[in-house]
Amino acid sequence: MHLSLEDLIAVRDGEACADSALHVSSCPECTAELNRLRSLRQLLAALPDEPPSRDLWPAVKARAAAERQRRAWIRVAWVAAGLAAVFTLAIGVRGAIEAYAEAKLARQAKTLVAESQRLEHALRASERQGQVMTGRTAGAVVQLEDRIAYVDSRLSRAGGERFPSQEIIGLWQERVRLLDALVSVETTGTTYVGL
Amino acid sequence: MPDCPTDCRTAVNLGPSAPVSPFVTAIGVVSRASFAVSVDEILLARARAGEEAALEELFRRFEAPVYSLARRLTRSTHDAEDVLQETFLEIVRSIRRFRGDGSLAGWIRKVAASKALMKLRRRQGRPFEEALPEDLGDDGPAVVSHVPAASSVVERVDLEFALGRLSDAARAVIWLHDVEGYSHEEIAAMAGKTASFSKSQLARAHARLRDLLAPGVREEPCT
Repeated sequence: MHLSLEDLIAVRDGEACADSALHVSSCPECTAELNRLRSLRQLLAALPDEPPSRDLWPAVKARAAAERQRRAWIRVAWVAAGLAAVFTLAIGVRGAIEAYAEAKLARQAKTLVAESQRLEHALRASERQGQVMTGRTAGAVVQLEDRIAYVDSRLSRAGGERFPSQEIIGLWQERVRLLDALVSVETTGTTYVGL
Repeated sequence: MPDCPTDCRTAVNLGPSAPVSPFVTAIGVVSRASFAVSVDEILLARARAGEEAALEELFRRFEAPVYSLARRLTRSTHDAEDVLQETFLEIVRSIRRFRGDGSLAGWIRKVAASKALMKLRRRQGRPFEEALPEDLGDDGPAVVSHVPAASSVVERVDLEFALGRLSDAARAVIWLHDVEGYSHEEIAAMAGKTASFSKSQLARAHARLRDLLAPGVREEPCT
């Protein structure tokens, strides 16, 4: 029983088991086949190289350059896309912050206007009672009313409470404070209101 | 050219007196001497830096072995030229990442072998192991030579012809294993197959070559 070709190749490559190697050493036919395999490998390795029939370096160089150019454009496109995304995000964030601030101011303005209306109502109720006041108290009332008129004129120029700004909020706060003091003077006859 | 009967086959005598390989390693595996190209550190460093002259120098040193390997595997001038271009595009693209822990020649050869195997798979559009010329039948002479006396040229022509009769898979495996010195595991990894597939293809290739190059046929002159 001779070794198979696969076994003989394994012997040739030094990968066979001991039994196979032992068999070859005692079998002339397998030894001859092994020698044939070795010789064939040597013949194959001795086949000469074939150089290409034309110079292919210019083509390789051109393709490499085109590839570099393409990669460069892709990098530029990515950078541009990244910048656009950052810009869009910044605008979006800024818009959101502004919207939040505007809403907050609108809520503050609405609260101050309501408080102002409540104090005016209280002031009218106090005036209806027709309470007699001293000269100093009347002077304080006039002073307060002048200052409220001044705040009102500034509010009128600034646009009222429809599109509130920090300045308008400040004016409304001032108006509420003055009205509160006026109500206090009207109802208690206090002459010193801390203005 | 005289007609040649089907039983008139000329083959080479592959006995122990066959020519000795140009390069045999200690374990007896033949390495392709043509890939034994030395590349000094300076040239490698210049190539890594992307210097065009250095890259061209590398191309000049390796174009013949790479083309030859591709030509052996694909048996097509056009495909071999493609493989040569694609191999060096890969080298140009990746040489900066080449760490130098293996030989540059070994890396280039592996890239070339992988590209050639890929080319075979794409070209065929069918499984790598599918039968090719070796199964076309035995009509006509397998190996024909009209030079009566054995000579190295005749042996070479016969061997080239016989290689051409192998299937793509068998030819690729016998070349990569017996000539380039790749192990079955390495061939399996490159071809996307198993080591057993590589071993069986190698045995199949040798069986076919033995039939095609059968000694004794030459004694019948083909006249």
